[in-house]
Amino acid sequence: MLIDSFPLLTVLLLFITASIMPLLKKSNLVKGICIISFIVSFVMYLATLNRVLKTGDYFYRVGHFNAPFGIEFHVGTVECIMGILFTFVAIMVIWNSIYNIHFDIREDKIPLYYLLVNILIASLLGIVFSNDMFNVFVFIEIGNLASCGIVVVKDKKENIKAGMKYLIMSCLGSGLVLMGIAFLYSITGHLNMTYIHNELVKNYIHYPRTILITLGLFTVGLGVKSAMFPLHTWLPDAHSNAPTTSSAILSSLVLKGYILFLIKVLYRVFGIEIIRNFPILNIILVLGCLGMILGSIFAIFQKNLKRVIAYSTVAQMGYIFFAIGLGTELGIIMSIFHIIGHAVTKAALFLCTGAIIQGTGHKNLDELKGVGKEMPYTLGLFFIASLSMIGIPLLPGFVSKWYLALGSIEANKTLLIAVILASSLLNAVYYFPVSINGFFGEENLRGKIYKSKSKSLKELLPIIILVIAMIYIGIDSQSIINLIKTGLV
Amino acid sequence: MEKLLTNYYETGAIILFGIGFMTLLLNNNLIKKIIGMNIMDTAVFLFFIAKGYIQGKEAPIISGNFKGMEGYINPIPTSLMLTGIVVAVSTTAFALALTVKIYEKYGTVELDKILNKGE
Repeated sequence: MLIDSFPLLTVLLLFITASIMPLLKKSNLVKGICIISFIVSFVMYLATLNRVLKTGDYFYRVGHFNAPFGIEFHVGTVECIMGILFTFVAIMVIWNSIYNIHFDIREDKIPLYYLLVNILIASLLGIVFSNDMFNVFVFIEIGNLASCGIVVVKDKKENIKAGMKYLIMSCLGSGLVLMGIAFLYSITGHLNMTYIHNELVKNYIHYPRTILITLGLFTVGLGVKSAMFPLHTWLPDAHSNAPTTSSAILSSLVLKGYILFLIKVLYRVFGIEIIRNFPILNIILVLGCLGMILGSIFAIFQKNLKRVIAYSTVAQMGYIFFAIGLGTELGIIMSIFHIIGHAVTKAALFLCTGAIIQGTGHKNLDELKGVGKEMPYTLGLFFIASLSMIGIPLLPGFVSKWYLALGSIEANKTLLIAVILASSLLNAVYYFPVSINGFFGEENLRGKIYKSKSKSLKELLPIIILVIAMIYIGIDSQSIINLIKTGLV
Repeated sequence: MEKLLTNYYETGAIILFGIGFMTLLLNNNLIKKIIGMNIMDTAVFLFFIAKGYIQGKEAPIISGNFKGMEGYINPIPTSLMLTGIVVAVSTTAFALALTVKIYEKYGTVELDKILNKGE
């Protein structure tokens, strides 16, 4: 059936349209092709999700060889939700970039920039769907190069420095991941995740040390790439110096692709029965807690608005690692739910910040006081999105915190609720001042002209849609959680 | 110790991996970092290919008559590492290009000096 091949088709579609882009001279045409390719992918994933909900998960064979020799795509509910999420956020970010990409990037580089964006999202979708370890590694490397590319594209001093740092750290990560794959291959003789799992279940008793090392290699390697707490050092530089569009994509999507692979490695390749015998989940839990607290503390001391949001990403990734580390079913569901909520929210936050920085020409928090009078709608949207980060009821941030608290009670780790509370309070400490200083205060508002730098509705529309999607995710969280639950089994 | 000697391919690969990893992490010079990255990748290639090698069997290239499945080594790790080499080469090329850019903008390839200048 044609509908079965949609996941593969979207990945191919994005790669093929990417390869056409540098041949075209007109940047408007390139923008059009880029956004249309994402819209087509989005519709395809909706159709696939519909199909999966009706008839259940399936394996799609790529090429003419059956598993274990050929490459397979595993298409399940969670994968389809991720596909929809990635393409949806990408559509909104690219729609927003159409109006303001020329502020950041030279005109002749624009086709190449959209090429990188398409390749990056395609490789992330590949990581999400592929059921073959080595195939995932190749997608990781493609995504690695493309994501460094969209950081350095601005061609400024700081960008290249940040890009180099990012490249070195992620090469370190992918080296470790490849070594992990080599270890798994040497124990099991397979590269297909399902087959590796079947072999491991039979034989893991005999290789306790090797499995421990392999788990360590995967956790550290993917931890570097998805900014697990002590390995996050590249993130603030890369995310704050990159152009707005890149920051939004990097922060909301790229990290999520790698973390989803980590979830797959832990729960699909090894399986909960095997990893229970090793302390790996507790280590992830502790690092997640540290990330939640210290990421927020670092964010408080930042002076640059984009760096504040970048450090907030470190803290939010901490929540996802925390949820994985709980090791219960609720934990996994909430890690996936938090991926969804955070992707939409962080994209909206970065796009608002980009609009504010572009409108005022200032980056530092001190200079952005009173910006609420000049750009009331943009800062209003920023405020709503930051409420979700802090955890105000009805918004997705609150839902994931609430369920994480329930999850820690369920896992008999009530002490962790204190960590969640502390982290929420710290979030409030650095997000509220931005909005409060923006909207209120006599001296802040003096000399500012109402709506003088306001953006037109057309340019704000992508951010508004993101915020509406975020509120929808918050209100309708129960059905999304149920959907994820049916997909996990 | 005896285990290490009998599996000398793997031992060598892990030692190389460690060397590459530490070079990548601890050196300040960007070119040395890239060399470290390459050593690390090569160690993984060695590890993988050693896993596919079977004592006394031929390379899986049929010239003349086919000797049956038992006559050849496992070709999958070798072919995987071909892809791995392509990936490593492209990453190295990108890293070197960035290093050239960094030298143009900062006038040095020492990471600590670059970080200090950025402040």
